[in-house]
Amino acid sequence: MPLEPPRNAEYLIAAYVVTTVILLGYWLRLWRKSRKA
Amino acid sequence: MSAPVISLEVARRITHRGLALSAAALLGLALVYVLALGYTPVEARQGLAQKIFYLHVPAAWSALLAFSLVGFASALYLWLHDPRLDRFAAASAEVGVAFSAVMLTTGPIWAKPIWGTWWTWDARLTLTLFLFFLFVGYLVLRAAVQDPSERARFSAVVGILGMLLVPFIHLSVYLFRTLHPQPIVLKPSAPSLPPEMLRTLLISFAVFTLLYVGFVTARYGLALAEEARDAA
Repeated sequence: MPLEPPRNAEYLIAAYVVTTVILLGYWLRLWRKSRKA
Repeated sequence: MSAPVISLEVARRITHRGLALSAAALLGLALVYVLALGYTPVEARQGLAQKIFYLHVPAAWSALLAFSLVGFASALYLWLHDPRLDRFAAASAEVGVAFSAVMLTTGPIWAKPIWGTWWTWDARLTLTLFLFFLFVGYLVLRAAVQDPSERARFSAVVGILGMLLVPFIHLSVYLFRTLHPQPIVLKPSAPSLPPEMLRTLLISFAVFTLLYVGFVTARYGLALAEEARDAA
């Protein structure tokens, strides 16, 4: 009988959201600084 | 070495080039999300949480690349006293801290459903956390020292010490008993992954490397612009 994968989508979503927030947030920080430069 | 005259226009052009490159890489990251969620198979034992690995591993790669290059640029700075090397080291350290933040948050989010705990004080995790704190300290040191030549010298020493941790972190899974998975791509034998997973991971590596180059270029341009304003 094939193994049923565990259900843990919430961790996947959390990791993808956190990554997006950090990397997009850093890009926005650099962009805002560039407007002042 | 005497500092060359910096044009504000050149600094702005470098910054915009870096921002454009990193924006393109962020679009590439969106493609990685699509591939990871829609193209790669669901791993039987770990379920969907395994897909965190398409972000965690490339983020770790970019962070360790960034900190290694800080060390190399710092060593070269102490030898050549070229301010471009110091500027690059500072940019790479800041970007490395951003990638470390991704690595140190996605790691525990993966660990909770797989290991049953957010964190364990094993060699790789502990060394990685130390590396993160060391480079946060590096940035604090740079902000605290006003004299540019002293700041470059002091931070170069910290940057070299930080770089020395990188090989220990990579080899820690071989040197110590650890819960952390063994390398699956950067190892002496061939990568041990199904083709869809390997392809997606390699694309993610390319995207995170491009993101690193774009961020560092933008950060370098901003530092140049700041120096140009101070010199004016």
